Amino acid sequence: MENYEYIVEMRGITKRFPGIVANDDVSIQIKKGEIYALLGENGAGKSTLMSMLFGLYEPDEGEILIRGEKVKINSPNVATALNIGMVHQHFKLVSEYTIAENIVMGMEPVKKVLGFLPMVNREKANQEIQALSEKYGLAVNPTDVIQNLNVSTQQRVEILKMLYREAEILILDEPTAVLTPQEITALLEIIRGLRDSGKTIILITHKLDEIKSIADRCAILNHGKLIDVRDVATTSTKEMANLMVGREVSFSTEKQPAQFGKEVLKVDHLTIHNSDHFPVVKNASFSIHAGEIFAIAGVAGNGQVEIADCIAGLTKAHEGKIILRDEDITQSSIRDRKEKGIAYVPEDRQSFGLVLDFDINEDLVLKEYYEEKNHTIKNFLNKEKIAQDGEKQIDKFDIRSSQRGSTVVRSMSGGNQQKIIIAREFTLTSDLLILVQPTRGLDIGAIEGIRKMIIAERDKGKAVLLVSLELDEIMDIADTIAVIYGGEIQKIAPAKELTANEVGEFMMGVHKKEVGANE
Amino acid sequence: MDSVFIDGLSFALPLFIMAIGGIYCERSGVTMLAVEGLQGFGAFFGALIAFILQRSMSGASMVPFYVAILVAAVGGAIFSLIHVALCLKFKADQVISGVVVNILAIAITGYLTKMINRVVFGATSDKFVLNVSTRFTIPVISEIPVIGAIFKNIYPFEVIIIAVAFLAWYVMYKTPFGMHLRACGDNPHAMAAVGGDVLKIQRRAIMICGALSGIGGMCFAYSISANFSTNIYVGYGYLAIAALIFGNWKIMPTFGACLLFGFARSGGYKAVAMLQMPSSYQDLVMTLPYIVTLLLLIFFSKNNHAPKSLGVVYSKESR
Amino acid sequence: MNSKIKKFLKPLMIPVAAVLIALVVGAIIIALTGSNPIKAYVSLLQGNGIIPKKSYANFKGQITDFMKFIDYVTPMIFAALAVCVALRCGLFNIGVSGQMLISGFTATVLVGYSNMSAVPAKILVVLISILVGALAGSMIGFLKFKFNINEVVSTIMFNYIFQYVISFLINTYYVDPVSRQSKMISTASRLTLVDMKIGGYKIDIPLGIILALLAVVFVSILLNKTKLGYELKAVGYSRNAAYYAGINVGKSMVVAMVISGALAGLAGATLYLGYVGSIQPKVLADTGYTAIAVSLLGNNNPYGIVFSSMLISIIENGGTYMKSSAGVETEIASVITGIILIFSASNAFVKHWLAQKNANRLLKQEKKEVQ
Repeated sequence: MENYEYIVEMRGITKRFPGIVANDDVSIQIKKGEIYALLGENGAGKSTLMSMLFGLYEPDEGEILIRGEKVKINSPNVATALNIGMVHQHFKLVSEYTIAENIVMGMEPVKKVLGFLPMVNREKANQEIQALSEKYGLAVNPTDVIQNLNVSTQQRVEILKMLYREAEILILDEPTAVLTPQEITALLEIIRGLRDSGKTIILITHKLDEIKSIADRCAILNHGKLIDVRDVATTSTKEMANLMVGREVSFSTEKQPAQFGKEVLKVDHLTIHNSDHFPVVKNASFSIHAGEIFAIAGVAGNGQVEIADCIAGLTKAHEGKIILRDEDITQSSIRDRKEKGIAYVPEDRQSFGLVLDFDINEDLVLKEYYEEKNHTIKNFLNKEKIAQDGEKQIDKFDIRSSQRGSTVVRSMSGGNQQKIIIAREFTLTSDLLILVQPTRGLDIGAIEGIRKMIIAERDKGKAVLLVSLELDEIMDIADTIAVIYGGEIQKIAPAKELTANEVGEFMMGVHKKEVGANE
Repeated sequence: MDSVFIDGLSFALPLFIMAIGGIYCERSGVTMLAVEGLQGFGAFFGALIAFILQRSMSGASMVPFYVAILVAAVGGAIFSLIHVALCLKFKADQVISGVVVNILAIAITGYLTKMINRVVFGATSDKFVLNVSTRFTIPVISEIPVIGAIFKNIYPFEVIIIAVAFLAWYVMYKTPFGMHLRACGDNPHAMAAVGGDVLKIQRRAIMICGALSGIGGMCFAYSISANFSTNIYVGYGYLAIAALIFGNWKIMPTFGACLLFGFARSGGYKAVAMLQMPSSYQDLVMTLPYIVTLLLLIFFSKNNHAPKSLGVVYSKESR
Repeated sequence: MNSKIKKFLKPLMIPVAAVLIALVVGAIIIALTGSNPIKAYVSLLQGNGIIPKKSYANFKGQITDFMKFIDYVTPMIFAALAVCVALRCGLFNIGVSGQMLISGFTATVLVGYSNMSAVPAKILVVLISILVGALAGSMIGFLKFKFNINEVVSTIMFNYIFQYVISFLINTYYVDPVSRQSKMISTASRLTLVDMKIGGYKIDIPLGIILALLAVVFVSILLNKTKLGYELKAVGYSRNAAYYAGINVGKSMVVAMVISGALAGLAGATLYLGYVGSIQPKVLADTGYTAIAVSLLGNNNPYGIVFSSMLISIIENGGTYMKSSAGVETEIASVITGIILIFSASNAFVKHWLAQKNANRLLKQEKKEVQ
């Protein structure tokens, strides 16, 4: 029996970043062999806390004890030596390497050629990984290349990477964010199996039902402070939610029944190829009406973003037609489509949605700067008008910044950057509003606000195309749900006729192509 | 016909070693446009030492030559520290940094060559004149028709380059270091997550690039002009970069690109000589490698895939 | 009021520091080689007519040197503006030298060797150099957006191609057997009025400087006030975001390179058909490379460029007089420019570092207030 009570103990941890206290005097104790959940909104400081346990940051104040001994973890190497492993939210894999290469990298088996030249022993690596994957029941083929794998396999690679390093304390950062309900079930099963084999698991998440189903204890963080630590068995989800947000939350956004108007967008047998001439969307057909929120559900990378890009004109259609209010816009330019009434909140807000080195005012007119008699007069920018309009939007959408309109966007928080895009695109005169992951990375308060705004836009008679990886979001606000898998639309149905589980099954491609069968 | 092979190879190989340097650097995720300056500074450093050694040794000794190659590698590596500082420490734009290194190399080597000639050797000269490198011919196989020419009139540096190139290839694709280096160019965060020090790997990659470029520059100094002066800056460093883009950031295809440049150039000279054109037409031949480069880039740039994280400034905080 | 001054002074801090450090390092190098750095720097100012020399030859005075200096600055301003416009659109035009050469050469051949009278000749020189420069620039932009060819590589390739081809043409058709350069152009076509006798002095009057200052105003308005400038900057900051906003990225890059090339063309005209009057074969003007330092030092701001051009020109143009009066190699000028360049290039880091220091200070303040 070990002579310590807690395998991990963090005492009085404080970590500051410029302008924000990420962790404020946080203390947690974790027992060996338990599943310990860290619950909190985005920005509550969960990831920062665990990054310190993993040696990515060092705490400004406080101390860390592992197996009862005080340690200084100043790099992931130290953490690894202490048998701590972490799977990050964004996978850290080398896309052109094989599974085995990714797993062994940094401590690869080496043989000597001619007695002195070191060489990575790839055969041995493959064998070791094969054995490891069988031991823990995490099936992978060691010689597959990462860029050809789906998300859940990549996640398995990340877990194997920890196990290869003989990790005893496993940190999982939002592991279910990009998985389908079925994949989530499988993952939770894996996590239970790992616990049963004696591992200690720390689960970072904001999903309450997962905690309820798997965790033993749960620490709740809010704005960098530890609010409470609860036994999961004796705490209700509702209670945990209220602790997490610090106030009463409603789980669903209120909305009136939809009033469908005329057809605004018709997508007809659309096929899209990626830059390698590989079809990523195949033969997709659907239509969206005024006053309708049409959501595309699917696991990341199944073609939904490509559909959005293609409708907005960022990529070309290979085959098929895109019709906006009876007009064929398949060949139109991005600007033409905007003029004809398409507004677009793109997935990647930092590299597409915003010019980060512009100030707020400049970014707010990114789509309209050229309009004569509005923001431009005879090819010269009307700076006064731009500033006036900027002031209005900043107030209306509550965009927070240090110098209002002349703040450089790069210096702002992610949430406020997103608000700039939302402000710009929602204000555009448009009939079709395309939203890709509009609430990603925002805190619950902001998410609620944006969902309400989306519904308000719908009620004004806009057609809304929503692409989201958050099934909750889709179930919450969509009027119609399409499910995409492998570039093909599997199912289109009114939202009320579908349950989250059914959608999940279609997301996995379980029911092959019901749409086609009906036609 | 033999001269096309002989001159083509003696031009292609120094280009190749510089291109390998560029591959090392860019595969680690750092944009490298400084090969031109690095090769020049390496050559300056090597030529200076060779020049000093020559004075105390007999003209036929090859010792200054080998020392020069070694010193040039060291010189290139030292000068590459400017790129290291600007790109990795100061997080400057890597393109700008590359151009800065080039401009600085021309300025510093030009100034120092004059200064050292005046102060140390008491001469008014803007160059270090080197002894002509010996060449050798491998018996028997050099008698084979056509391709036998490859083994005729070989500069010793050509053998050195082939050996170094092979070693560089081995390190890049077979060793843990090479594996880590290429990982940094694809996804540096993956390397950091398994405890690798990305900046350290990139620093080494840049310095290897400096060393290999220095060797290439020294070889050019010996083969083209048998001296060092600022005339060494004729854009061959940029040709090396074009070659590696054309070679898709892989060592073997890049070798093919370098051979193509080499033979285009030597073939052009041969044509001028055979057609008995006036020597001013050599200026036109000189444009051949550059034109070939542009044409190749036009045809190949689009289909080639640069390392995924090339030019992305890596810092621990940005995740 | 105070904050306004601060806002004005802040961007000056880094360039001024860069220059001071470079001058100090330069002074140390000069001292190490056994010369007097103060004497060297004073001679730089004297050589440019900014402070008087001890004595002057007949018909020469401080004003002679100063006007020669202005004549030297003129192409530098154009060249730096060329770098600046391209850089604002995210393109690195290091082919300014080549674009200068081809425009200067074309104007020389078409106008410089003709019998045209002064006014049409000068106008034609300006127009031809703008046109040729713009064409040369557009090629680079086209290769970039159509074939994704790194403009640094393509501009360098064109530099050498222009250099050798023009060298061939000069040596074959236009060489002056004595000077080994191209034959001098006609006085009528020259943009600098050479050896004008004014007030007892012989003075060169560079007409190009007026054009250069107009170009500064033009570029400033273009970048800051116009729709086109907004588009160029958007492309320069983020190609993806500009594309998403419906801006024609390819067109913007070509337009930026056309403007950049045209400015480089003017630099070529004011150098080869102004300051010099002939072309040396096989040599690219340093101006195009120095212009990169000038533009970075001027914070890529057209007005900043006027000052940085003058400053760097003092160092580069004064070299000859410094050599004769203080015995310092002229190449030291390039070394000092190079050091300035290093510090200007680390601009981003210094800004980042200052911002972080500022943030940390705020953090400490907050902490104190809490306690």
